[in-house]
Amino acid sequence: MLIRKWKKKAIEFSRIERIEEELLRQVPACCELDEGSNAESRIFPAPADANEQDLLQDWKEFVRPELRHLFRSAKETVEADLGLLKMKIGHLGRFLVPLEHAEPWLNALNQARLILAAKYEFSEAELSALEAPKTFSQRELVLHQINFYAAIQERIIEILTIGEDQKGSGEPGDR
Amino acid sequence: MPETAIDTKTETQLTTPWNVVVHNDPVNLMSYVTMVFQKVFGYSRDRATKHMLEVHHLGRSIVWSGDREQAELYLQQLHGYLLQATLEKSEGC
Repeated sequence: MLIRKWKKKAIEFSRIERIEEELLRQVPACCELDEGSNAESRIFPAPADANEQDLLQDWKEFVRPELRHLFRSAKETVEADLGLLKMKIGHLGRFLVPLEHAEPWLNALNQARLILAAKYEFSEAELSALEAPKTFSQRELVLHQINFYAAIQERIIEILTIGEDQKGSGEPGDR
Repeated sequence: MPETAIDTKTETQLTTPWNVVVHNDPVNLMSYVTMVFQKVFGYSRDRATKHMLEVHHLGRSIVWSGDREQAELYLQQLHGYLLQATLEKSEGC
């Protein structure tokens, strides 16, 4: 699969193989959360320690619904973009993602990776291993899937940040 | 007097600096965390990278300190980017 900037207004995913298509199409489903799961507490972490009960309560009541909406919206954007991915028999797939959808893509890919990592309880060592697993159990295939999504994220970030250093971003926005 | 006590408490809450702390997690990519710090706080690439490396090597980094209302807004944005972040009262206050 090749991912590159297309005419300054989109990200082109091309030369998509069947297995890559399958993994891409699984992104929205991977963003689905089970209530009360490990993954849910990772996607919605506490904003402070238990001493800050007012903040915890307000966060749950007011902020969490907004975050839930943001995450759902990112997932739906990816789902809609994937609707444009057509695979013709004997050909590799291609589709375009508008540049303004780059953030929803990063977000949905992150949701998918975080949820899969929490669900399968991958350790930090497993997630940062440089060598690919040598066996192909379900768990190891999921690790490949997480790494595949990470590679797409890396590429999208590269595309978004190309030329940024030349702009001279100035000093930080401390207030 | 009770009224004075409430006012004092409220004033203390408003003036105590709060830290926005980002914690390490093995899933978020280093490049992603750097990009998020640039977007949320407007940090330069160098400063964003410094905080990202602090998170990576030390397990946490205080990425911003200031009034609570602004700290909560930053925290909400960081959670929107799926970073593990919390608010803490600044030490010594």
